[in-house]
Amino acid sequence: MNNFRYFPGSKNDVAKLYRFLGIKDKKELFGKIIGDIPLLDTNILQALTKEKDEDSLYNFFLNINSNIPVKNKFSIFVGGGVYNHFIPSAIDALISRSEFYTPYTPYQPEVSQGTLFALFEFQSMIAEILGMDVVNASMYDGAESLAEAVLAAIRLSSANRDLPVNRKEDIILISEGVNPNYQSVIETFTGGTGVKIEKIKLNGKTGQTDISDLKSKIAIGKTVSAAVVQQPNYFGIIEDLEELEPIIHFKGVSEPVFIVSSTEPHCFGVINPPGFYGADIFAGEGNSFGNYMNFGGPLLGLFAAKKEYVRQMPGRIVGKTKDGKNKDAYAFILSTREQHIRRGAATSNICTNSSLNAVRAAIYLSLCSKSGFKKIASLNLKLAHILRDGLLTTGLFEPLYTGDFFNEFSLKIKENKNNISAAGFIEEMAKKGILAGVAASEKVIIISATENNSVSEIEEYIKNVKEVLYA
Amino acid sequence: MPKFPGIKGMFLDEEPLIIQGSKGLSGISMPDCGLKKSDLKKSENAYINEKYIRKKPIRLPEVSEPTTVRHFTRLSSWNMCVDTVFYPLGSCTMKYNPKINEKIASLENIKNLHPLTPAGLVQPVLKIAYDFNKILCELTGLAEFSFAPQAGAAGEFAGLKIIKKYFDLKGENRKTILVPDSSHGTNPASSVLAGFMPVEIKTGKAGTLDADELEKYISKDVAAIMITNPNTFGVFEKDIKKISDIMHKNGSFVYMDGANFNAFLGNVMVSDMGIDIIQLNLHKTFSTPHGGGGPGSGAIGVVEILKEYLPIPYVKFHIKKSVNNKSELFYELAEDKKYTIGRMTPFLCSFAIVVRAYAYLLSLGRENIASVSEIAILNANYVKKKLGKILSGSDPFEEGLCMHECVFNDKAIEENGISTLELAKILIDYGFHPPTVYFPKNIHGAIMIEPTETESIKTLDNFIKAVKEIKSKAKKSEALKSPKKTKVGRVNEVMANKQPVFKY
Repeated sequence: MNNFRYFPGSKNDVAKLYRFLGIKDKKELFGKIIGDIPLLDTNILQALTKEKDEDSLYNFFLNINSNIPVKNKFSIFVGGGVYNHFIPSAIDALISRSEFYTPYTPYQPEVSQGTLFALFEFQSMIAEILGMDVVNASMYDGAESLAEAVLAAIRLSSANRDLPVNRKEDIILISEGVNPNYQSVIETFTGGTGVKIEKIKLNGKTGQTDISDLKSKIAIGKTVSAAVVQQPNYFGIIEDLEELEPIIHFKGVSEPVFIVSSTEPHCFGVINPPGFYGADIFAGEGNSFGNYMNFGGPLLGLFAAKKEYVRQMPGRIVGKTKDGKNKDAYAFILSTREQHIRRGAATSNICTNSSLNAVRAAIYLSLCSKSGFKKIASLNLKLAHILRDGLLTTGLFEPLYTGDFFNEFSLKIKENKNNISAAGFIEEMAKKGILAGVAASEKVIIISATENNSVSEIEEYIKNVKEVLYA
Repeated sequence: MPKFPGIKGMFLDEEPLIIQGSKGLSGISMPDCGLKKSDLKKSENAYINEKYIRKKPIRLPEVSEPTTVRHFTRLSSWNMCVDTVFYPLGSCTMKYNPKINEKIASLENIKNLHPLTPAGLVQPVLKIAYDFNKILCELTGLAEFSFAPQAGAAGEFAGLKIIKKYFDLKGENRKTILVPDSSHGTNPASSVLAGFMPVEIKTGKAGTLDADELEKYISKDVAAIMITNPNTFGVFEKDIKKISDIMHKNGSFVYMDGANFNAFLGNVMVSDMGIDIIQLNLHKTFSTPHGGGGPGSGAIGVVEILKEYLPIPYVKFHIKKSVNNKSELFYELAEDKKYTIGRMTPFLCSFAIVVRAYAYLLSLGRENIASVSEIAILNANYVKKKLGKILSGSDPFEEGLCMHECVFNDKAIEENGISTLELAKILIDYGFHPPTVYFPKNIHGAIMIEPTETESIKTLDNFIKAVKEIKSKAKKSEALKSPKKTKVGRVNEVMANKQPVFKY
């Protein structure tokens, strides 16, 4: 072979380049650049194997693929931040167009109108679904987006009080109903900055964020920058945002920023979105809209805010404008917030984001359209309720909370003969081809159902539960 | 007259989907879940409290599958991309994205894998993450990587958090991160985000950081230097070993922004330069597609003493006796890193990106890996030398070789009455994606060209010819109107910012 398949230059071309530069060989080339730093001898590499031809490479992964027993062999009832939704073939077909997946960030708008237009439609549809004013064109995932929302809130509330950012007294209230991994990511982002995080308890009966605990923690004298809740929360319970909002927007020493998160935005096809209740920022996960689970990534971080806060938003925002001939055109706007202009004074360091996943979401929501979007949400709601009712009927579980839920709910395993824990239950169910849920504690399991689960899968789940817990 | 691939085709017009289509249409296939008619008919308030239920209609498009497909296909045709044009966007490594990697990432059980699937069922996937980690260690000389950061900037943030935690635990309150003035904007932004103060160091005439200059900034307040190598001028930091020594003597760390690692892949280990931490942009050096702005991955690698600070979770294995009493490795997600900076993402990593990068390395193998940076450097120097003759007096680093990219100022084109922006816009009409422009900021009207190893001499010559022709022929009055052959003409960015429209 005269070249490796990914290099369009032949060995002769490489020789020609060396001649043109007046350099003898690789040793001289690198020697002139890096001096006495040694060159790596690739022959002695251990972890990197010999080259693989395309067919062997594919077969290598095909073999791995067939050793992972998931699709069509497993019923997936696990959520916990990523949900198993149906993905139409049209998305894969469209997204596999090189014009979408091989360019980079649209720094030159005239040759990137396709991506910019698609992202503008993404922003428009997400804004509509969330009931929010401005949506950015994307963050990495829901957790990172939420952490950035907390940072934005600290800047905002410091500005409201005319105080310097990152003061030691900044307190962030986080509901215990927020996904624990999201809470951890917030801690990573705020750790070492002096920001103090206080947790708000859940109401032991309903599973909603506890009103009296929230009231006591938001009380006069404390400088609370933000309060964060998740809709529906980690345990699947629908939060009463209408009741929370006036408490959070308490006009005492500070007026905290009301941040709502979500890991499952499909819920807003059925329930009122955060924008209807005066949420200042929404920051959550958008992977459910047309993206694969991909073993956890890449995901799609959604970030939205009221328009008065747009200058504190992180990330890229597409705006509509005109070209020289007065035709509609699209471009990134307000980039003075961003790192490539503002460097150390930027609102965030984010550059590369989840742009392609956002385009997938735009295609997905277009395919769903108005009626499909509502229908899917409704199916999720119904299937999850059928599953929960069926599981409760077995008498082997009791509900953890009484609050309303969308497509995810939490059950407590009652005392059983084998003293099976939630983790043990999941192990046993997996042996039967069912990914039964997430273990939230010793006896608590969080279960979800989507339009990808049929009634017969649900019946199978219930049948197997009896075998596992009666056995 | 040379032939250029300049756009000649027809652009199809397209309206937003929201104003297309008849009322009530949808393009999605609704799964048959086997619900009973009685359940289908039930209204939502049979399940949840009336007060939560969304009653106002949601303003979404109302279109079928073919309308959606035509819409987005038309949109796609308005983009330039790596597969259609030469895309020499400096500092972004716009190399070819092998198609087999897409096919592999699309395997059913990989793309449909839920991240909370029990470890016993996903052994092969955990092994990929583990083995890929080992390869990156071998290619950099570092001790361990984490794939938790989802892009370069997140990798920088993770690296700086590690440094912060290290000094916090040592009881040292070091606040300063030294950043050369030529660095990527993400460097100072990440420093601030991690709770540090970035301090800019002036780079010397040769574009590099002088060890003597660095000495002036050294104090016990300095936690680390963030250095891009090769730097953003495409020039190797010749004092790198001295710089590392100075930092280490001061008890400080050397963080390398690995955005330009394509200059070293397979030939130089960063450990030999004294680097303590690096982020590798898998979407640059390791061929995963840039996705029109992401997703990417900013894998972060560290030296031995910082391993326990890496983000969680990570993949480890223990030896387990199987049923027939054979020993086998059992991989699992672990969180037992003693000083971990914590979690950066809800699950392990952007696995679909990692799997593509892994496939890329497996196809290259030890036989071809070293050619990547070798050809990338040769191509960049070819452009530097040949274009340098045309843009005479515009190469700020005329002496010596560049690495994977070269940079010019606007002196020569300005003499012909054309600005860098105009050159960029006219190049579009010739059928080339413009280089990175006006970065780095300390080069006047910077034009930063990164050809990568996946371009032929013919393409490079064609590009050089185009620049030559533009330089000699372009007229200011015409230049202002460029590009002319694209879907839209020069975009009014001032208006876009003055009266921002965020949604339809």
